[in-house]
Amino acid sequence: MENYEIGKYTRSFGLSFAITSVLSALLVIVKELSEEGVLAWMKAMTGHHWVTHGVLNIIIFVVLGWALSRVGKGQGVKISANGLVSTIVGSVIVGGVLITGFYLLH
Amino acid sequence: MDNNIILLIHPALGGLATLAALWVFVDTLNAREASLSRIKNISILCAVLIWLTYLIGGYWYVVHYAPEKAIIKGGPWPFAHGFFMETKEHVFLMLLLLATYLPIAASGNLVASKAARKVVLWVSGLIVPISLSMEGSGAIIAIAVKVGLLFKQAQGG
Repeated sequence: MENYEIGKYTRSFGLSFAITSVLSALLVIVKELSEEGVLAWMKAMTGHHWVTHGVLNIIIFVVLGWALSRVGKGQGVKISANGLVSTIVGSVIVGGVLITGFYLLH
Repeated sequence: MDNNIILLIHPALGGLATLAALWVFVDTLNAREASLSRIKNISILCAVLIWLTYLIGGYWYVVHYAPEKAIIKGGPWPFAHGFFMETKEHVFLMLLLLATYLPIAASGNLVASKAARKVVLWVSGLIVPISLSMEGSGAIIAIAVKVGLLFKQAQGG
């Protein structure tokens, strides 16, 4: 007999991945369009904007995933497996299109 | 150590990570009690390999890439940096998180839960083509350096 449930960390960190991926792609555009503002700040933080970008992504992914696993009295965010898969795949497509599209046009 | 060795280790680890993700995908298609621990271990291996690829490639990119970037931008293939490297370095950050998530997704009972299997299949299935696109982009960037150097030589530089 099959159980259709997925664990709370699978749901929480899956959703966190999706949100972080899209935010990361948006940050690519923002930093490239704001060389003296955002890009300069990111360079100043670690010495290289890409290092800062990676660190920010990891922090957001971990903190958001942990926070989403705490909602609902510790039961974690509620989302079906189909909803989670669609969100993950959608975020990869949106993130990929934002990044490749930006550098194609920029 | 010759810095160029890093450029061999980086894609080699990435290639192994791609194979690990493919292994997880295929093993999950036929998940049994006997294969559960193997799937979990290979998914961890995949994440570790992607992290090593990131750290080694990142070290090269931050410390040693600038002279090659100048060669590429001054040669006939400037798009290798302007599009392929810029895209690669940022899509890789997404791949890093996806590979980090794979062991979390694979921690469920993949035999009992069809839903858990579905998540693992999609995550491992996404890692494979994204990793392959990273390998392809890296090859284009490496060839662009060669093309740039040949161009410079032909110009008498």
